[in-house]
Amino acid sequence: MDFDLILRVFPYFLQAAVVTIKLSVYSTALGLVCGALGTSARLSRHKLLRAVGTAYVSVIRGTPALIQLFILYFGGPQIGIQLDAFEAGVIGLGVNIGAYMTETMRGAIIAVDKGQTEAARTLGLSRSQAMRKVVLPQAARLMIRPLGVNINAQIKGTALVAAISVVELTYTAQRYIGSTYKPFEMFLLAGALYMVIIYVVGMGVTYLDRKAALK
Amino acid sequence: MGLDFAVVPEYLDRLLLGSVWTIGITLAAAALSFFGGILFAVIALYAPAVIRWPFKVFAWLFMGTPLLLQLFLIYFGLIQIGIDLPAVVAGIIGLGLHFAVYNSDIIQAGIRAVDQGQYEAGRTLGLSQIQTIRKIVVPQAVRAVVPPIGNNMIALLKDSALVSVIGVTELTLSSQLAISKTFRPFEFYLAAAACYYVINLALEAGLHRIERRIQVAR
Amino acid sequence: MKTISNLFKSALAAGVMAVATLGASQSVQADELATIKENGVMRIAMSGAYPPFNFVNEQNEVVGFDPAIGAEIAKRLGVEVEIVTTAWDGIIGGLLANKYDAIVGSMSITDERKKVVDFVGPYYRMSRGIFVKQGSDVADLAGLEGRKIGVTLGETHEQWAQEQEGWDVRTYKGLPELLLELDNGRIDAIVTDDIPVLLAIRENGNAISQLDTSGLAGVADQAGIAIRKGNPELHKAMQEALDAMQEDGTYLTIAEEWVGGDIR
Repeated sequence: MDFDLILRVFPYFLQAAVVTIKLSVYSTALGLVCGALGTSARLSRHKLLRAVGTAYVSVIRGTPALIQLFILYFGGPQIGIQLDAFEAGVIGLGVNIGAYMTETMRGAIIAVDKGQTEAARTLGLSRSQAMRKVVLPQAARLMIRPLGVNINAQIKGTALVAAISVVELTYTAQRYIGSTYKPFEMFLLAGALYMVIIYVVGMGVTYLDRKAALK
Repeated sequence: MGLDFAVVPEYLDRLLLGSVWTIGITLAAAALSFFGGILFAVIALYAPAVIRWPFKVFAWLFMGTPLLLQLFLIYFGLIQIGIDLPAVVAGIIGLGLHFAVYNSDIIQAGIRAVDQGQYEAGRTLGLSQIQTIRKIVVPQAVRAVVPPIGNNMIALLKDSALVSVIGVTELTLSSQLAISKTFRPFEFYLAAAACYYVINLALEAGLHRIERRIQVAR
Repeated sequence: MKTISNLFKSALAAGVMAVATLGASQSVQADELATIKENGVMRIAMSGAYPPFNFVNEQNEVVGFDPAIGAEIAKRLGVEVEIVTTAWDGIIGGLLANKYDAIVGSMSITDERKKVVDFVGPYYRMSRGIFVKQGSDVADLAGLEGRKIGVTLGETHEQWAQEQEGWDVRTYKGLPELLLELDNGRIDAIVTDDIPVLLAIRENGNAISQLDTSGLAGVADQAGIAIRKGNPELHKAMQEALDAMQEDGTYLTIAEEWVGGDIR
């Protein structure tokens, strides 16, 4: 184990970790928006909206994220979407995780007992009121942990954007492996940084989960 | 360069063979991740601290690092200490353990949601702790968490593409090999996406049936 | 399920049409030489993980023979150079999608690639090397029959190795994996460009040795600079810059600095 080398390249890995964090934060934010829209569509009363929501989840979850990124980044220019690599990475990853988050959010909403909606309706609340005031607050609590799992997967999934020329943590490690011939050192360093990021996010999720449970 | 799918048929047999590998790896890893997930959940909740803590560290390592890196360490690293796994086996173990840790998290939540009273009732009826866990707690917990575990299985199918980095000629590597010969990335990535999609539909249909059967059983 | 698959089909069709328009839209554009000069910058791509041709130094800067050649060409065209590093799998896709202007990344010129891109150059000659672990019982090419041979995905050597009788060829993602596998003993030999491996032996002390392949036909490949098709003026300007630097000795200086000798 070459610790001197690790110390020398550490600052550049930190810079790369910042890129990974930015990708994760932006794409997760976009994913939550897509997830909320997808969930609304899938639970909608309109047949067309439901079909759109179902197709979104099915196509996105049904094909690998890497291929989606390629199509967006390399295929985009031909239909006038000229994105730089980072933007394409954020949008591609965000839309991708949004499909998984749709299923998480929908699952949580369905898990809230059906009887509760009926009770609320009987009490004179409208359908949207029942959803907003009775179902969603409970569902929100239920979805914190599984959404945390989605976010955890997303952080690690950011490694895919190396294929479209974003130099984040994994590609930084790969570039250094090329020049230093030290694969284990470089991957362990990258791995340690991923763990720190994921640990911090995990603590945040646990905190929110506890806070929600106390209410 | 317009799209020209005429190049695809020549490589179709290799894409199909790659699909078969992808299906095999996915099923084997899914089984490992399911039973491993149950085992890990039981260990995390019930095992004595000596076993529980090292295990938690292990789970934390698997949760906290990218699968790519884990596959790399399992395949290229274990041989340095004398464990020589074939690439396919290394891939199945890596994928299986990675998702077992995710599944364990979900199953743990499921077990906690099973009424504590049921556990006590089981014990009162004279069942041992292990029997109570095995026959009363786990079956109920697993039923409740089938949808999120199904979600993981679907993610697993897609992540099986990563075993291409250790030289397993599954669907992704098959399409990359075809691309490296023809320089037709879109044709082959779209063809591979279509194969994944079909496999995924079959997987979803299978999961759906399991979900329905479990709901009937309740 | 019907609706879903129909939607997927229409999405696929949209994608197909989108990609199909590429050729048409490009032919009406002016030569890219003008665009590059107007922007004042030429973007060049490489993997960034292929020493000594292109790699990151400890300060995380992309350096090596390829960036130096690319920078010199840009200088002679009167523009700045911008280096993009990207995974090798998608590097031609990125060029075709206009994400950069040229690939100066040790790409060998092949007929298959020529169907998709134009090449400036060749700018150096690569030679195929076959390496085994030190102390291996394989002494010559004949000894490789029935052995496991490692190659890199997409390299010309992969195809060549597949054509050899009786070789059990395994495909990997890059040189680091090949070196590890050879070291681990999972494969008996690797077939790859020799300069990067000779450098690894020198810098990293890998205990491997090169088989004598003299007398083997077709061991040399030419490395070229890939640009998008339909740009005769850009091609001409870059070729002239490359020729000029070979004549005035700049090329040799760069080659000596990064590779330690002339590699034409």
